[in-house]
Amino acid sequence: MVFYILRRLLFLPLALFGVSLLVFTMIGFLSPYQRLATFINSPERLKSDNVDKLISFYGLDDPIFIQYFRWMKNVFQGNLGWSYVGKAPVLESILIRFPYTLELAIFSVIPIIFLGVSFGVLSALHHNKFLDHILRIFAVVGWSFPDFVFGLIVLMVFYSTLGWFPPGNLSIWAEEIVKSPAFRHITGMLTFDSLLNGRLDVFWDALRHLLGPVLTLTYVEFAFILRITRSSMLEVLRRDYVRTARAKGLEEKAVIHKHARRNALVPVATVSGQTIVGLLAGTVIVETIFNRTGIGSFMAIAAQQLDYASIMGGTLFFGLILILGNLCVDLSYAFIDPRVRLD
Amino acid sequence: MTQPQHENMLEVKDIKVYFYDDEGRELKAVDGVSFSVRRGETIALVGESGCGKSVTSMALLQLVDSRGKIVGGKVIFEGQDLLLLPEAKMRTVRGKDIAVIFQEPASALNPVYTIGEQIIEAIILHQKLSFRQAREVAREMLRLVGIPEPEKRLNEYPHELSGGMKQRAMIAMALSCRPKLLIADEPTTSLDVTIQAQILELIRELQKKLGMSVILITHDLGIVADMSQRVVVMYAGKVVEEADRTEIFKNPLHPYTIGLLRSIPRLDREQTKLETIPGVVPDPSSFPVGCRFRGRCLYESPTCCEVPPPTLVGNNHLVNCHHWQEVRQGKETARF
Repeated sequence: MVFYILRRLLFLPLALFGVSLLVFTMIGFLSPYQRLATFINSPERLKSDNVDKLISFYGLDDPIFIQYFRWMKNVFQGNLGWSYVGKAPVLESILIRFPYTLELAIFSVIPIIFLGVSFGVLSALHHNKFLDHILRIFAVVGWSFPDFVFGLIVLMVFYSTLGWFPPGNLSIWAEEIVKSPAFRHITGMLTFDSLLNGRLDVFWDALRHLLGPVLTLTYVEFAFILRITRSSMLEVLRRDYVRTARAKGLEEKAVIHKHARRNALVPVATVSGQTIVGLLAGTVIVETIFNRTGIGSFMAIAAQQLDYASIMGGTLFFGLILILGNLCVDLSYAFIDPRVRLD
Repeated sequence: MTQPQHENMLEVKDIKVYFYDDEGRELKAVDGVSFSVRRGETIALVGESGCGKSVTSMALLQLVDSRGKIVGGKVIFEGQDLLLLPEAKMRTVRGKDIAVIFQEPASALNPVYTIGEQIIEAIILHQKLSFRQAREVAREMLRLVGIPEPEKRLNEYPHELSGGMKQRAMIAMALSCRPKLLIADEPTTSLDVTIQAQILELIRELQKKLGMSVILITHDLGIVADMSQRVVVMYAGKVVEEADRTEIFKNPLHPYTIGLLRSIPRLDREQTKLETIPGVVPDPSSFPVGCRFRGRCLYESPTCCEVPPPTLVGNNHLVNCHHWQEVRQGKETARF
């Protein structure tokens, strides 16, 4: 087990090298003039024939691999560059925003998995009956909805009509409290921090701002979990060991929730893991629609503005999350299914 | 068919299990099967795959899969019709009074729970013991079925055991609540021959020790000869012949039974080729009217379009054939 984890972790730098090289090369297709823009903070510097000098000063006309190794050298020294979008060093810009995305992911993943699995099991138990059809239609609609469409509907209904779930991260009054020196930032996540600071009013405000995106993500993503759970459950219910459990005299409840469901969850774990990793690696569209600070919207703006230091930093960060996330998913198999051996 | 001098532990009367396929057709998988089991007796349900023997046994516990329905008959167990019991009562019969060993131990054990968890679960359910006591009983059962290092095995998962050991664990699970009746559904089919013999010996030994009755479902007549006192031969969802073991082997009267017996390889005869029954088992959706063996039978005549009446021909020997007398005479002439 330990060896397995170590081996997977050894693969990590290799993968990060691969993705960063790929993205860097793609950025290299932009002309040096376009890339120079992110280095300039005042128009003064672009006077007369300064532009070409600046390009060679920053080494933007060097061969792409030299530029890449220069970037990598900086990375090894812990310097990911200056984020034009974040107006701070890249690493700092990412670390400030990540907790917001993490918070959204945590709040979404709980209903996604809980509803997905419960309704999936329910759907399987009512196979081809009324409830099954209703749940499946509900799920298919959710699954086929683009999240930007559903997000806008949520905004329309719950914000402009009902006024319940406003966009953004916090109301202005709450933001002032959070930014005041008395407010301690422990996790970086607004809901948890406000609870830890004993500010229930701020907590309630942060929660209200979270619910819109959470609702959107839940409806769009839970449908997939439901479908996987349903089909896996239907398959498991036909297995011999389910009949054995019934033949033992167990109640139907125990047969289903103990003997069948745990087996049915094996494929669900894979998909849930991917969903969690996907949520962490940026819910770009939902964050943008709901005007939330987070790593997804940060990366979207960075890409629009050709802020290539942020793009590269984000690439490394997403790569890290993806690989560690998948490792956690694989480790979770071993807990669900004893036949899986990690070695 | 009742035996007044012996108490019947189980009487199955005219049980019918019909399946319904996607087009809504009725498949009469089990169509009026009757037999009885005496206390301490082993009875064999014999027949080809698909003849309804497993479905019959599952119908006793009302565990027919969801497409099938028990549409008629009685299952009288110790004087009580199980089909009339409410589901909650029925659950106390399953596993406690009537236990089952399934064909494939590899798929009949739940892969995500340890052997111990699976055995203990049944014990706690039916015997109301504490976990610690149940664990003690489970370990004792594993020892009883000859599993070495039972303490260690309790914590192992099914995939960590060999096929034979899995079946022993399955038996331990079935017997852990001392059932009065054990249904062994092809208990050795998926095991290799040496293990087969051990498992059968184990079942026989435990039967003696615990004094239970056994319904042995098999298509292997060798096992029948070895294990059972009475034999019920099934064909296409119906009982064709029922008799004591010696009677069935010496004096079979149904053409299907004869065909079945002839198709066993024998060491005491010169044979170059095994005999087979001509034709194939008909599909349940198109069973012939009347005698279902019609079309494959050497004795066929127009009367066979009517359902053959069950005829008691002495010695507790029951046969469902219009032509049993001809069969008997035919055999006598063949003997001379």
